[in-house]
Amino acid sequence: MSFSGPGFPDLVPTARSMSPGDFASKVFRSQSGIEARVQYGNKAFNKTLDLEYSNVSEADAAAIFDHYQNCKGTLYIFGLPANPRKGNPTFDPSIAGETSATNRFGSRAFGLKYRYAEPPQFNSVKTGRMSVIVKLIGVLDS
Amino acid sequence: MTYYSGKDGNLTYNGSQVAKVSNWSVSSTVETLDVTNLSLNDRTFVPGLRSSTGSATIFYYDQAAVPLLGRIIKTAAVGESDILAIRLGWGTSKFIEGPCIITSGELSCAVGEIMQATIQFQFTGAPTNVGL
Repeated sequence: MSFSGPGFPDLVPTARSMSPGDFASKVFRSQSGIEARVQYGNKAFNKTLDLEYSNVSEADAAAIFDHYQNCKGTLYIFGLPANPRKGNPTFDPSIAGETSATNRFGSRAFGLKYRYAEPPQFNSVKTGRMSVIVKLIGVLDS
Repeated sequence: MTYYSGKDGNLTYNGSQVAKVSNWSVSSTVETLDVTNLSLNDRTFVPGLRSSTGSATIFYYDQAAVPLLGRIIKTAAVGESDILAIRLGWGTSKFIEGPCIITSGELSCAVGEIMQATIQFQFTGAPTNVGL
Protein backbone atom coordinates (compact mmCIF):
# COMPACT_ATOMS: atom_id res chain seq x y z
CA MET A 1 0.00 0.00 0.00
CA SER A 2 1.46 3.31 -1.05
CA PHE A 3 0.70 6.75 0.37
CA SER A 4 -1.65 8.77 -1.81
CA GLY A 5 -0.86 12.37 -2.61
CA PRO A 6 -3.13 15.10 -3.98
CA GLY A 7 -4.31 14.94 -7.60
CA PHE A 8 -2.02 16.31 -10.26
CA PRO A 9 -2.74 19.95 -11.34
CA ASP A 10 -5.52 20.02 -13.94
CA LEU A 11 -3.42 21.51 -16.77
CA VAL A 12 -3.45 20.56 -20.45
CA PRO A 13 0.09 19.69 -21.55
CA THR A 14 1.69 20.97 -24.75
CA ALA A 15 3.18 17.55 -25.44
CA ARG A 16 2.70 14.09 -24.02
CA SER A 17 4.36 10.75 -24.60
CA MET A 18 3.63 7.35 -23.14
CA SER A 19 5.29 3.96 -23.02
CA PRO A 20 3.01 1.11 -21.85
CA GLY A 21 5.51 -0.76 -19.66
CA ASP A 22 5.70 -4.54 -19.52
CA PHE A 23 4.28 -7.58 -17.73
CA ALA A 24 6.20 -9.29 -14.95
CA SER A 25 7.84 -12.42 -16.31
CA LYS A 26 10.94 -14.51 -15.94
CA VAL A 27 12.96 -16.28 -18.58
CA PHE A 28 14.46 -19.72 -17.92
CA ARG A 29 17.05 -20.79 -20.42
CA SER A 30 18.46 -24.30 -20.49
CA GLN A 31 22.03 -25.20 -21.38
CA SER A 32 20.81 -26.27 -24.79
CA GLY A 33 19.46 -22.77 -25.37
CA ILE A 34 15.80 -23.67 -25.12
CA GLU A 35 13.88 -20.84 -23.51
CA ALA A 36 10.83 -20.96 -21.25
CA ARG A 37 9.03 -17.83 -20.06
CA VAL A 38 6.82 -17.64 -16.99
CA GLN A 39 4.36 -14.82 -16.56
CA TYR A 40 4.01 -13.54 -12.97
CA GLY A 41 1.18 -11.07 -13.30
CA ASN A 42 -1.72 -10.05 -15.49
CA LYS A 43 -1.06 -6.33 -15.45
CA ALA A 44 1.64 -4.34 -17.14
CA PHE A 45 3.58 -1.96 -14.94
CA ASN A 46 6.32 0.64 -15.22
CA LYS A 47 4.21 2.52 -17.72
CA THR A 48 5.89 5.89 -18.29
CA LEU A 49 4.06 9.09 -19.04
CA ASP A 50 6.00 12.25 -19.92
CA LEU A 51 4.14 15.56 -19.85
CA GLU A 52 5.61 18.70 -21.32
CA TYR A 53 4.33 22.16 -20.43
CA SER A 54 6.05 24.67 -22.72
CA ASN A 55 5.91 28.42 -22.11
CA VAL A 56 3.28 28.16 -19.40
CA SER A 57 2.61 30.87 -16.81
CA GLU A 58 4.63 30.91 -13.62
CA ALA A 59 1.43 30.16 -11.68
CA ASP A 60 0.98 26.90 -13.61
CA ALA A 61 4.63 25.97 -13.12
CA ALA A 62 4.29 26.76 -9.42
CA ALA A 63 1.24 24.46 -9.19
CA ILE A 64 3.33 21.57 -10.52
CA PHE A 65 6.18 22.44 -8.17
CA ASP A 66 3.81 22.55 -5.18
CA HIS A 67 2.28 19.23 -6.21
CA TYR A 68 5.72 17.63 -6.35
CA GLN A 69 6.46 18.97 -2.86
CA ASN A 70 3.09 17.79 -1.50
CA CYS A 71 3.73 14.32 -2.93
CA LYS A 72 7.03 14.25 -1.02
CA GLY A 73 8.89 14.05 -4.29
CA THR A 74 8.81 10.60 -5.83
CA LEU A 75 7.26 8.97 -2.74
CA TYR A 76 3.46 9.35 -3.01
CA ILE A 77 1.20 8.02 -5.74
CA PHE A 78 -1.59 10.12 -7.25
CA GLY A 79 -4.22 10.16 -9.98
CA LEU A 80 -4.40 12.32 -13.08
CA PRO A 81 -7.43 14.60 -13.60
CA ALA A 82 -8.98 15.11 -17.06
CA ASN A 83 -6.89 17.92 -18.51
CA PRO A 84 -3.47 16.21 -18.50
CA ARG A 85 -5.14 13.45 -20.59
CA LYS A 86 -6.97 15.83 -22.90
CA GLY A 87 -6.69 15.83 -26.66
CA ASN A 88 -6.68 12.15 -27.58
CA PRO A 89 -9.80 9.98 -27.09
CA THR A 90 -7.54 7.14 -26.07
CA PHE A 91 -6.44 9.20 -23.04
CA ASP A 92 -9.48 11.29 -22.33
CA PRO A 93 -12.29 9.76 -20.23
CA SER A 94 -14.67 12.58 -21.20
CA ILE A 95 -14.53 11.45 -24.83
CA ALA A 96 -14.80 7.73 -24.10
CA GLY A 97 -15.71 6.02 -20.82
CA GLU A 98 -13.01 5.73 -18.21
CA THR A 99 -12.75 1.98 -18.56
CA SER A 100 -13.72 1.88 -22.22
CA ALA A 101 -11.51 -0.08 -24.56
CA THR A 102 -10.92 3.13 -26.49
CA ASN A 103 -9.56 4.72 -23.31
CA ARG A 104 -6.72 2.25 -23.41
CA PHE A 105 -3.89 4.71 -22.71
CA GLY A 106 -5.38 6.02 -19.46
CA SER A 107 -3.80 4.74 -16.27
CA ARG A 108 -7.00 3.13 -14.94
CA ALA A 109 -7.14 0.79 -17.90
CA PHE A 110 -3.81 -0.48 -16.59
CA GLY A 111 -4.95 -0.49 -12.95
CA LEU A 112 -2.15 1.96 -12.27
CA LYS A 113 -1.57 5.10 -10.30
CA TYR A 114 1.24 7.49 -10.96
CA ARG A 115 4.20 8.74 -9.06
CA TYR A 116 7.03 11.02 -10.15
CA ALA A 117 9.76 9.04 -11.86
CA GLU A 118 12.19 11.88 -11.18
CA PRO A 119 12.04 15.52 -10.06
CA PRO A 120 10.34 17.72 -12.68
CA GLN A 121 12.53 20.05 -14.71
CA PHE A 122 11.76 23.78 -14.64
CA ASN A 123 13.22 26.06 -17.29
CA SER A 124 12.81 29.82 -17.25
CA VAL A 125 11.83 31.21 -20.66
CA LYS A 126 11.20 34.87 -19.95
CA THR A 127 9.57 36.99 -17.29
CA GLY A 128 6.35 35.23 -16.31
CA ARG A 129 6.88 32.20 -18.58
CA MET A 130 8.42 28.83 -17.80
CA SER A 131 8.63 25.40 -19.37
CA VAL A 132 8.22 22.28 -17.27
CA ILE A 133 8.98 18.65 -18.07
CA VAL A 134 7.27 16.06 -15.87
CA LYS A 135 8.19 12.37 -15.98
CA LEU A 136 5.69 10.03 -14.34
CA ILE A 137 5.75 6.32 -13.85
CA GLY A 138 2.73 4.02 -13.44
CA VAL A 139 2.74 1.78 -10.38
CA LEU A 140 0.48 -1.04 -9.36
CA ASP A 141 -0.97 -0.20 -5.97
CA SER A 142 -1.97 -3.07 -3.69
CA MET B 1 -1.64 66.09 -42.22
CA THR B 2 2.05 66.09 -42.92
CA TYR B 3 4.32 64.01 -45.04
CA TYR B 4 7.79 63.38 -43.76
CA SER B 5 10.85 63.00 -45.91
CA GLY B 6 14.57 62.58 -45.57
CA LYS B 7 15.13 66.27 -44.84
CA ASP B 8 13.13 65.86 -41.60
CA GLY B 9 15.41 63.09 -40.35
CA ASN B 10 18.14 63.42 -37.79
CA LEU B 11 20.29 61.23 -35.60
CA THR B 12 21.70 62.15 -32.21
CA TYR B 13 23.89 60.29 -29.75
CA ASN B 14 24.06 61.25 -26.05
CA GLY B 15 22.30 64.49 -26.97
CA SER B 16 24.67 65.56 -29.76
CA GLN B 17 23.40 65.68 -33.31
CA VAL B 18 25.36 63.78 -35.94
CA ALA B 19 25.98 65.87 -39.06
CA LYS B 20 25.70 64.67 -42.63
CA VAL B 21 23.53 61.64 -42.05
CA SER B 22 22.55 60.13 -45.39
CA ASN B 23 19.96 57.68 -44.09
CA TRP B 24 18.92 55.73 -41.05
CA SER B 25 16.54 52.88 -40.42
CA VAL B 26 15.20 51.06 -37.40
CA SER B 27 13.48 47.71 -36.99
CA SER B 28 11.75 46.09 -34.01
CA THR B 29 10.75 42.45 -33.75
CA VAL B 30 9.02 40.37 -31.08
CA GLU B 31 9.61 36.65 -30.75
CA THR B 32 6.58 34.47 -30.30
CA LEU B 33 6.29 31.69 -27.73
CA ASP B 34 4.24 28.68 -28.74
CA VAL B 35 1.65 27.83 -26.06
CA THR B 36 -0.42 25.41 -28.13
CA ASN B 37 -1.64 22.63 -25.88
CA LEU B 38 -3.14 19.26 -26.71
CA SER B 39 -6.74 20.48 -26.49
CA LEU B 40 -6.35 23.04 -29.31
CA ASN B 41 -6.58 22.77 -33.09
CA ASP B 42 -4.75 25.99 -33.92
CA ARG B 43 -1.30 27.19 -33.05
CA THR B 44 -1.48 29.73 -30.21
CA PHE B 45 1.25 32.14 -29.21
CA VAL B 46 2.11 34.72 -26.58
CA PRO B 47 4.62 37.55 -27.07
CA GLY B 48 8.18 36.69 -26.20
CA LEU B 49 11.24 38.90 -26.16
CA ARG B 50 11.47 42.07 -28.21
CA SER B 51 14.59 43.32 -29.93
CA SER B 52 15.28 46.43 -31.96
CA THR B 53 18.11 47.14 -34.34
CA GLY B 54 18.99 50.00 -36.60
CA SER B 55 21.49 51.27 -39.09
CA ALA B 56 22.69 54.60 -40.39
CA THR B 57 24.90 55.86 -43.17
CA ILE B 58 26.91 58.97 -42.47
CA PHE B 59 29.05 60.95 -44.93
CA TYR B 60 32.61 61.22 -43.70
CA TYR B 61 32.52 65.01 -43.55
CA ASP B 62 35.07 66.40 -41.10
CA GLN B 63 34.51 64.39 -37.92
CA ALA B 64 30.79 63.68 -38.41
CA ALA B 65 31.02 59.90 -38.25
CA VAL B 66 33.88 59.62 -35.80
CA PRO B 67 31.97 59.63 -32.46
CA LEU B 68 29.95 56.63 -33.58
CA LEU B 69 32.70 54.76 -35.42
CA GLY B 70 35.03 55.35 -32.49
CA ARG B 71 32.83 53.19 -30.30
CA ILE B 72 33.80 50.09 -32.23
CA ILE B 73 36.84 50.89 -34.37
CA LYS B 74 39.51 51.61 -31.76
CA THR B 75 42.50 50.04 -30.12
CA ALA B 76 40.81 49.49 -26.76
CA ALA B 77 38.20 46.82 -26.14
CA VAL B 78 34.53 47.69 -26.50
CA GLY B 79 32.97 48.06 -23.07
CA GLU B 80 29.77 49.13 -21.40
CA SER B 81 30.95 52.75 -21.54
CA ASP B 82 30.47 52.49 -25.32
CA ILE B 83 26.70 52.16 -24.96
CA LEU B 84 25.16 55.31 -26.45
CA ALA B 85 21.75 56.91 -26.11
CA ILE B 86 20.81 57.06 -29.79
CA ARG B 87 17.82 59.05 -30.91
CA LEU B 88 16.42 58.68 -34.41
CA GLY B 89 14.17 61.61 -35.17
CA TRP B 90 11.92 62.90 -37.92
CA GLY B 91 9.94 66.09 -37.59
CA THR B 92 8.88 67.67 -34.32
CA SER B 93 8.32 65.27 -31.40
CA LYS B 94 8.74 62.26 -33.69
CA PHE B 95 11.54 60.05 -32.50
CA ILE B 96 12.72 56.72 -31.13
CA GLU B 97 15.35 56.85 -28.43
CA GLY B 98 17.16 54.21 -26.44
CA PRO B 99 20.49 52.84 -25.30
CA CYS B 100 22.38 51.18 -28.15
CA ILE B 101 25.50 49.17 -28.75
CA ILE B 102 27.23 49.86 -32.05
CA THR B 103 27.48 46.35 -33.46
CA SER B 104 29.05 47.13 -36.80
CA GLY B 105 31.07 49.97 -38.27
CA GLU B 106 32.05 50.11 -41.89
CA LEU B 107 34.08 52.72 -43.73
CA SER B 108 34.11 52.82 -47.50
CA CYS B 109 36.28 54.87 -49.78
CA ALA B 110 35.97 54.64 -53.56
CA VAL B 111 37.19 56.63 -56.53
CA GLY B 112 34.61 59.20 -57.59
CA GLU B 113 32.50 58.83 -54.45
CA ILE B 114 32.28 60.66 -51.18
CA MET B 115 33.71 58.63 -48.36
CA GLN B 116 31.03 57.39 -46.01
CA ALA B 117 30.56 55.27 -42.93
CA THR B 118 27.84 52.73 -42.24
CA ILE B 119 27.01 51.76 -38.68
CA GLN B 120 24.62 49.21 -37.31
CA PHE B 121 23.38 49.27 -33.76
CA GLN B 122 21.43 47.09 -31.38
CA PHE B 123 19.08 48.55 -28.79
CA THR B 124 19.76 47.17 -25.34
CA GLY B 125 16.65 47.09 -23.17
CA ALA B 126 13.44 48.90 -24.01
CA PRO B 127 13.40 52.25 -25.84
CA THR B 128 13.51 55.03 -23.25
CA ASN B 129 11.35 57.42 -25.29
CA VAL B 130 9.12 56.96 -28.30
CA GLY B 131 7.05 59.49 -30.22
CA LEU B 132 5.53 58.00 -33.34
